[in-house]
Amino acid sequence: MRKTLLLLVGILAVLVQAAMAQDRRVTGKVTNAEDGTAVPGVNIQLKGTNRGTQSDASGNYTINVPSAGGTLIFSFIGAVTQEVSIGNRTTVDVKLANDTRSLNEVVVVGYGTQQRRDLTGSQVTIKGDEIARLPVTTFETALQGRTPGVQITQGSGKLGAALQIRVRGAASISASNEPLYVLDGIPITSQDLNTTDNEKISPLSDIDPNDIESIEILKDASAAAIYGSRASNGVVLITTKRGKAGRTNVQVGYYTGFSKPTRLRQFLNGPEYVELFSEAITNAGIELDDPGDGFPGYGLDPNSGVNSNWADAAFQQGSVNQANFNINGGNEKTRFNLAGSTNQQVGIIINNKFNRNNIRLNLDHNITNKFSIGTSLAFARTNNRKVPGDNAFSNPVQLNALPPIQPIFDANDPTGYNRQTLYYNNLVESNNANNYARTYRTFGSLFGSYQLLPGLTFRSEYGFDILNLQEETYQGRLTEDGAPNGEGYQAQTRSNNWTTNNTLSYSKNFGAEHSLDALAGLTYQEQTVSAVSATARNFPTDQFQKLASASQKTDANSTETGYSIVSYLARVNYKFRDRYLFGLTGRIDGSSRFGVDNRYGIFPSVSVGWILSDEDFIKNAVPAVSLLKLRASYGVTGNSEIDNFASRGLYSAIPYAEQVGIRPTQVANTELRWERSKQLDLGLEFGVLNNRINGQIDVYDKTTEDLLLNVPQPATNGFTSIAKNIGSLRNRGLEFSITTQNFVNAFRWSTNFNIAFNRNRITKLNVAPIRASSRFLSYVTEGQPLAIFYGKKYLGVDPQNGNALYEGVNGEPTADYASAPELFVGNPNPDFTGGLSNNFSYKGFDLSFLFQFVYGNDIYNTAGVFQSVNGDYYDNQTRDQLRRWQKPGDITDVPKAILYGGNGTGVSSRWVQDGSFLRLKTASLGYNIPSQLLRKVFVQSARVYVTGLNLLTFTKYDGYDPEVNTGYLGATNQLTNIALGHDFYTPPQARTITVGVNLGF
Amino acid sequence: MKKTILFISLTLGIGFSACDDRLNLNPQQSIDAATALSSAQDIQSALIGAYGVNAGLLGGGLADAELYGTNLNLLPELLASENYVAWRGTFQGYREITTKQMLATNSESQRTWITAYQVINIANSVLESLDKVQNADQKKAFEGEARFLRGIMYFELVRLFALPYGATAANNQLGVPIVLRATQTQAQAAETQARNTVAEVYNQVLDDLQKASTMLPEDNGLRADKYSALGFLARVYLQQADYAKALAAANQVIESGKFRLNENVTNSFRSKNTAESIFEIQQNTQNNPGTSNDGLTTFYASIPANGSAVGRGDVQVLNSFVEQYAPNDARRTELFYIGVKGNGTRYYTGKWSDFGTNIPVIRLAEMLLIRAEANLRLGSAVGATPAADLNAVRLRAGVAPISSPTVEDVLRERVLELAFEGLRIHDIKRTRQSVGTLAWNDPKLVMPIPKREIDANNLLVQNPGY
Repeated sequence: MRKTLLLLVGILAVLVQAAMAQDRRVTGKVTNAEDGTAVPGVNIQLKGTNRGTQSDASGNYTINVPSAGGTLIFSFIGAVTQEVSIGNRTTVDVKLANDTRSLNEVVVVGYGTQQRRDLTGSQVTIKGDEIARLPVTTFETALQGRTPGVQITQGSGKLGAALQIRVRGAASISASNEPLYVLDGIPITSQDLNTTDNEKISPLSDIDPNDIESIEILKDASAAAIYGSRASNGVVLITTKRGKAGRTNVQVGYYTGFSKPTRLRQFLNGPEYVELFSEAITNAGIELDDPGDGFPGYGLDPNSGVNSNWADAAFQQGSVNQANFNINGGNEKTRFNLAGSTNQQVGIIINNKFNRNNIRLNLDHNITNKFSIGTSLAFARTNNRKVPGDNAFSNPVQLNALPPIQPIFDANDPTGYNRQTLYYNNLVESNNANNYARTYRTFGSLFGSYQLLPGLTFRSEYGFDILNLQEETYQGRLTEDGAPNGEGYQAQTRSNNWTTNNTLSYSKNFGAEHSLDALAGLTYQEQTVSAVSATARNFPTDQFQKLASASQKTDANSTETGYSIVSYLARVNYKFRDRYLFGLTGRIDGSSRFGVDNRYGIFPSVSVGWILSDEDFIKNAVPAVSLLKLRASYGVTGNSEIDNFASRGLYSAIPYAEQVGIRPTQVANTELRWERSKQLDLGLEFGVLNNRINGQIDVYDKTTEDLLLNVPQPATNGFTSIAKNIGSLRNRGLEFSITTQNFVNAFRWSTNFNIAFNRNRITKLNVAPIRASSRFLSYVTEGQPLAIFYGKKYLGVDPQNGNALYEGVNGEPTADYASAPELFVGNPNPDFTGGLSNNFSYKGFDLSFLFQFVYGNDIYNTAGVFQSVNGDYYDNQTRDQLRRWQKPGDITDVPKAILYGGNGTGVSSRWVQDGSFLRLKTASLGYNIPSQLLRKVFVQSARVYVTGLNLLTFTKYDGYDPEVNTGYLGATNQLTNIALGHDFYTPPQARTITVGVNLGF
Repeated sequence: MKKTILFISLTLGIGFSACDDRLNLNPQQSIDAATALSSAQDIQSALIGAYGVNAGLLGGGLADAELYGTNLNLLPELLASENYVAWRGTFQGYREITTKQMLATNSESQRTWITAYQVINIANSVLESLDKVQNADQKKAFEGEARFLRGIMYFELVRLFALPYGATAANNQLGVPIVLRATQTQAQAAETQARNTVAEVYNQVLDDLQKASTMLPEDNGLRADKYSALGFLARVYLQQADYAKALAAANQVIESGKFRLNENVTNSFRSKNTAESIFEIQQNTQNNPGTSNDGLTTFYASIPANGSAVGRGDVQVLNSFVEQYAPNDARRTELFYIGVKGNGTRYYTGKWSDFGTNIPVIRLAEMLLIRAEANLRLGSAVGATPAADLNAVRLRAGVAPISSPTVEDVLRERVLELAFEGLRIHDIKRTRQSVGTLAWNDPKLVMPIPKREIDANNLLVQNPGY
């Protein structure tokens, strides 16, 4: 690799700067074709060069062009791009026509760009301005409801928590199902590296949403296969803002707001608790004041009159604040974009905080008109005060289990809190414990591009992503885990991820009818993750929290792991008569993760497109049709997201008090290789009335074979599982989106609706069905969708005796839990997902709102066995338990309350509920202050706005929030993939309202 | 054009050769299994590994929570919880065991089975690698230790997962599968095997432990030695009601003169590797299951600590059991306390009170009681009179001697002396008593074969009732 770089540098050195021809000046004004108003911010570029500028607030521009003239390209988001020949004019005025779906728009594809019109693959584009203003910690949240075929789930309301993204369904059982993320051409670290618990934090939250120019999500094989063995889950291409020649634009933004939980689960209050539990104790044949099993045995006093709202104590009003700037400008030789931001959030869950500071500089320079170089440098510092995992007693949401008749506070306790509670009163941790994850992140890339021959360009790129994660926890002496003298933990994890891309691209027209684009390349990527951590106990006082002050260092650790991947890639796009499109891509990937017998994989794809609307028979027959395009693609992609050394036979160390030994941990599989997804995609794109109505439909069929599966083995041979390529699954689906420009004049109104259906099915498993955990219903078995709910079916309550009933062997109700067979009792995969957005603007005002919907999925409340079990144990119960059976004849679904009675307490469909929801995801109202008013204060543009996130949620789910996915089983990819749709003391999402202002100078 | 092509080929060529080598990355925290056991030192490491603790994660060695670190002690106690202990915890697996309402998916059944067989695989791996050991004495000791590990694991498995010895005359009830070869390949890892009979498993246990008792050195540092093997042999024979051999084995341990009773009833549980200890699991503050919300102290203890508590206080000792001890019995006064949990109303055992202290598995007191019981049953006085052995234990606890004890007296003493040490259900089964309304041979007192095993091995037959 190093030699390659050397060679490149050598070539650079001998290049001679081309002499510049004599220039002249062209000026003009850009106006809107419909209402004649000036259009500021239009990109004006001299065709075939990097010379360009932008129109100012009055729509005026000036550009230097060669004396021979040339052609100017006028482009603007939402308008039809125009090419105007200058001739010998000195003034070129242009009227731009509205077009929200510009076909000539250039979109980013893998290792290059393409005109949207020529795409033969399926990909979804999100513009940066759609996401920048939302008060989210990580940009994926802002994509929700806008991406047909890409299901984005935020598992909880914890700040900085990782989201789950599924592009066209889950394509794997044991390997990761998350897409590959590529930032400005460089694959970045997107897997969580935290060492303190199973719940994932998102390394993507280090990216400043303000920096994003656009996001492309590559969905089908034709679009994604160029990423080979990592493309099965789709690829997310993030492109950051680059400098544009012209006047220097300075943008400054600020927003502030507050947040609250979207929904709260309802629990018993004091008197209700006493009522239910008195009944439960009595029904169990125990005296209420029995010192062992009655109220006193658990430190409870039913007559105390205390009525604490423990459940609410977990929450607070949160806040968000963000300030950012962006300076963009340059000339035709050098262009830059400099941005910075600071974001501070206080969570809705107590003790949860997040703040991030970002700086980014993107720089481009033309050494000659053949040779250009550029760099992107970004630094981020993220500080996340984390909430404990859902399954920890210190998770504030678990406070809802505490009896309301126990007081929250105790003035005589050194913590100020009552610590004589049924379970740990983790409010103690507010002042006595910390849990920080601090990320220091550097993204850097450098590229050089040289035009070897007309149409033939060599591009070499080197990029790195260095992630330093510093974790620090301290449990004070008054906390449960920190007693008696405090416990501290420190960890430093460094991920060094670097990539080189070397590509050669060729573009040429042959005659009037043939056009060819070709690309060949070589890339190499390597990631090393090393971590050091230490734990210590016994601190002199809680003011000392660094490990140096502790007397007992209880644990120290250092680890290192990594992988490397070498790839060869190629793409050919051929276009005939500007309307028959053909594409071929291929990639060969070699990965250190695979077995020595199967190191290299080949991932080809083929695609065709036909722009029917350019055919005369369509033009003549239906002139209203502005676009009609058919596409089809088929290809093979892979998934290699397994453990770095999954193919090896391994022995690892194991301690035995002061001694240490080794033990076998893994059996070798030298044939282990990537999973293979074969995907067929058929698409139709349409536009009528000059694209005022446009949309697309895609159907796909994605079959994943050679699933990387941890195949359960008989443990009698010493190993519980082996990673093998076995089994297959299928995702089929349909995606539809339509955008309409309902009004296009002074009052503008546009609507977008999108909906996606995906059907997932395990077609071949070859191994015993897989369970996530005995507490969960999640199940993987042949013929069913991934993660289907499988368990005993709860039928309700026997009206005669109040016993819980389950569906028995022959479908007969039975009170014998043990004998009830397990059945399919729910499905966490939605029938369909989608969004509906509307944008209005009139004069300076704009209003937009977006509804997101998810329909047909089920949720299992894993905590139901504790909190909704008719007083089986002293945990506080949800309010619905008040409708328990009390006397013969009662018809209800809550069994007779019996303390320790085990009446309806086993894992069953009793806690399965419909998780469908409709949510007003975002709503935003803005006002652009007229530029006449602003000029006096040297401001070019100003927008003030108010934005709401998660404003309204409609659902039948009784829990906190229907968008839920507890992360506590996240120890492995397989568990993350399988344990879907479970709620376990999981905090809800935040409803956030912000007001903000953006100023342009 | 030619130069361009040359440049491209050169770039790709250099890239290819340079990058291909870079795919050979090696793990840093693990070594290749193919060469892991290639020297005497490696094999010694593997033997140590068989005792190890892999806290918080599935799989490990003897010290882990799945084995002696918790379950091989706790499960036999909870299975015989009647008139003894109450489960006050939230862990469903233990709750099911206490109430004898286990499901085939019982988490404790599963993890104990898996880890026991992992230790067996290490033992088999060592036995197959002995040709790498040059020194004959060392080779013999390694073989003895591997056989010890395998023998005790099969003994624990067959007692927990099969109907008790004696449940049928020929003991042809199903035991557990016997695997005697190391797993090195995928094919071996996938092999399925039916359950052997209880008789076959006991024969294997005896074969391994007998050989271990002759091959292991008299002193093997902090790991199993000759007397550890003999101690287990005494237990095995006792379980089979083979009193003569149990007597001989226990007597051999006692007569070795290497062990003596500690002064105080608490010493074994507060200090490490005391004179009384015959086989003991080593722990320290770092390496113990207690730091992962597991381990004996976590479940048994509820000790006040600065306004909080050490231990979850999940295993409450019933007052009726505490009252079985004489009021002045040191085992009552010093080894029970009122716990934090339960608001000052519940007794807890003081045997397990510190995460990092050792876990005695076999102590001299047990050998004395075995010798006393066997002598009584056989009408002999090998080594010492039954009264002498029994009263040695009683006197240490500060209770009056019994001049002419019966078998019942010795059995009662076992209950009191060895409480919370993982013997209770096994004693009930061998002496054919009952647990509440369940007879000694009731299938509900047998752990289910883990559901995952049945799923992964179609030759396995589930225990009755699951």
